[in-house]
Amino acid sequence: MKSPLFGSFSKPDTDEKILGPMQRISLKKMRRFPESEPVDYVVVGIGSAGGVLCQRLAKAGFSVIGLEAGPFWDTERDWVSDEKGSRKLYWNDLRITGGEDPLAFGENNSGKGVGGGSVHWAAFAPRFHPSDFRVYSEDGVGCDWPISYEDLKPYYELLEREMPVSGPAHFPWGDPHGYPYGPHPVGGVGNTLIKGCTKLGIPVVAGGPVAILAGSHGDRPHCIYRGFCIQGCKVGAKASTLITHVPEAIEYGAEIRDRSMVFRVSMKSKTGADGVFYHDEDGREHFQRAKALIVAGYAIETPRLLLNSACPGHERGLANSSNTVGRYLMAQAGNVILGRFADLVRMYKAPPAHALTEHFYETDPVRGFARGFAIQTVGPLPIAFAKQMMKAKGAWGWGMRRVMMDYNHWSSLGLLGEILPWPDNRVELAEEKDQFGIPVAKITFTLHENDKKMIEFGKKVVMEVMWAAGAEEVVQESRYAHLVGAARMGDDPSSSVVDKFGRTHDVSNLFVCDGSILPTQGSANPGLTIQALAARTADYLISQGERIFESDRRDMTTPPIRRELAVKGAFVHGIPRFWN
Amino acid sequence: MIEIELGAELVLRDPETQQPLAPKQQPGYYPGYSTLGQKGYWDATTRRAVEDRVYNVPPIRFFTEDELLTITVACERILPQSDRLPARRIPIVPHIDERLYKNEIDGYRFAGMPSDRDAYRLGIRAIEDMARSIHKQPFVDLEPLKQDFILKSLHDGKPLVPHKVWEAMSVSRFWHMIVQDCVSAYYSHPWAWDEIGYGGPAYPRAYTRLENGLPEPWEVDEQRYEWAAPAESLSDTYEPGDDPGSVSGQGGTH
Repeated sequence: MKSPLFGSFSKPDTDEKILGPMQRISLKKMRRFPESEPVDYVVVGIGSAGGVLCQRLAKAGFSVIGLEAGPFWDTERDWVSDEKGSRKLYWNDLRITGGEDPLAFGENNSGKGVGGGSVHWAAFAPRFHPSDFRVYSEDGVGCDWPISYEDLKPYYELLEREMPVSGPAHFPWGDPHGYPYGPHPVGGVGNTLIKGCTKLGIPVVAGGPVAILAGSHGDRPHCIYRGFCIQGCKVGAKASTLITHVPEAIEYGAEIRDRSMVFRVSMKSKTGADGVFYHDEDGREHFQRAKALIVAGYAIETPRLLLNSACPGHERGLANSSNTVGRYLMAQAGNVILGRFADLVRMYKAPPAHALTEHFYETDPVRGFARGFAIQTVGPLPIAFAKQMMKAKGAWGWGMRRVMMDYNHWSSLGLLGEILPWPDNRVELAEEKDQFGIPVAKITFTLHENDKKMIEFGKKVVMEVMWAAGAEEVVQESRYAHLVGAARMGDDPSSSVVDKFGRTHDVSNLFVCDGSILPTQGSANPGLTIQALAARTADYLISQGERIFESDRRDMTTPPIRRELAVKGAFVHGIPRFWN
Repeated sequence: MIEIELGAELVLRDPETQQPLAPKQQPGYYPGYSTLGQKGYWDATTRRAVEDRVYNVPPIRFFTEDELLTITVACERILPQSDRLPARRIPIVPHIDERLYKNEIDGYRFAGMPSDRDAYRLGIRAIEDMARSIHKQPFVDLEPLKQDFILKSLHDGKPLVPHKVWEAMSVSRFWHMIVQDCVSAYYSHPWAWDEIGYGGPAYPRAYTRLENGLPEPWEVDEQRYEWAAPAESLSDTYEPGDDPGSVSGQGGTH
């Protein structure tokens, strides 16, 4: 071999997108719909939920357009193995953040481009626990979901195969289960968590659950442990809907129209929408007709779009008769606990996400607060670590240089704690406008008493784990992870935005399907749950057929699960089940 | 280029014998390690992006001449590099200037804060005014220690003298922004990766030794030495600054 391989194994055609070293899709062959003809479904936002919805609906024979504000990525030519060079993956447009505990956005929790947040998630893919669906009944806080764990369980099992998820053969918490792919090898941060937990007698699992391939899968290679998961996986080992569901959506006739920023839903009557207005990348305004719409823009852009679509009959914003659009926004406590070790760790190797414990997930009355938290591995690269040192140690100047020279001696663990839904944590419209003249989102976030108690307790536990693992110094940085809520689902139209299938209570052919419909959030990363809900909503829409377009009547019958619509290759592997 | 005072050399010592060591060609505990030396094994897009950072330093287009002078000296204190050979110093201010010129933001702004562009202009003015009101001299002409006292007061969230700028924006949020911009420029540079022993890009080649902090065949083992920061500096200590809650740059986590 004269020269080393540079990733891609062949030169692509100009109209092809490379998705990992082996997968190609041709956009020239993609079906294109005229704007004037109404398609069956327009999906707004092609992220975790939007990718699954387009794939399912197209495969079932519906005409579907997916409108995505960001670009359609080519993983080989657009993405880099580089921390700073990956900022284009994030939603960096202006948002105003306030309240007593303001949230960070951008790289922290917001994706832009086909695949959305699933492009830059760390890919932890735990299920929610059965108790998450009845938080109010069990603990008298938050609210209950209009569905139970049992409703979602078959979809968890299905999406764990479609992504697929690697993890232990026996995952002991919540509803115990196994995973189609075996656990990953353990890196430095995983070793820290395992050693610390084991010393303290805390049960812990290693090697997952994470939606990263521990073995090859079709035209996707296994993980190469290079540690750039949240910079976009060039390897194609980490699941994103860009590589798992969007290619099949296009194959079955969906159109993915990228660089298309939807800014208003158009109404034909008080209870019926007929399309969306959007800007293309040159700022030109377009109108796309549709028989039904699904908004899947995540917990900030979804409520922003609904609020910006206020019109006669919907003066407070679309689907907002309950005045809950934008309310009950949640982020999880994501404190990072950092420990310095005498020996080298080199925490930049291996996926940041590869070991966790959910031992503290459920309510324990002894602790004095409701609900709980998980402890997970994280693996900051140098810039993120420097910023953590600024915050956790007050480092700057020579002190920053000194602690950074010890980067390879540090390990890090993350708290993932359940913050409860509160009506005053919300998304509203700011007076400022974006580049298209549309009001930007203004977010208010404040911790409440239960949240603060949980964070204090959880932080101490994680620090104890870090000490027990052998750290010589332990510091921590307060932060928040993920975004859900702000268009929650419920049975009661006076206190929720959508019903249990994601249909807005106010507009019969307008659906919301993304993280914003979650009533509570547990202590589990939301990605798997969002995709499972999307597959369930798709099954409902497919079962209802034309009635969605023609009738205001709501059929609340649970649809049968359509496993035949899963992406190809989903059933190649068996799943270890040795606990029965 | 602006000529500025370089500060004293660091004092390096052998951790075992405490004998003084000769100054290092490359700071850090990984002698001879070069991430750029591995660029032939990186994918083409990554290689172009990293090389661009090293060889194509952006021109100054946002800061005025006066602002440039102040911010350059301030960044020399916030991320000092006087231990580096002049030809191996990592450009900081050109990257801040480029971000502001292109109006690249992190996706949000704290309520009550001005735009990043305005925050820099206001902050630089306040630093300059502080120097002149206390020492009757421009900030850039102050001794390094006096410069550090001014900057440390921003780190502490307690400016040495009141200024109307700080009524309009949070001192700590401004401080965090400038420190974050400095570390983003410095630790995105392959020479800084060499200094801290970070492996850098590894696609399509992979990392193959995940255990016990062991180096890849092309990485280098750690060889520690002790060093003392120049006496005329205040930054070689760790005191938590004023914490206004969430900051940006929370990547690398979950």
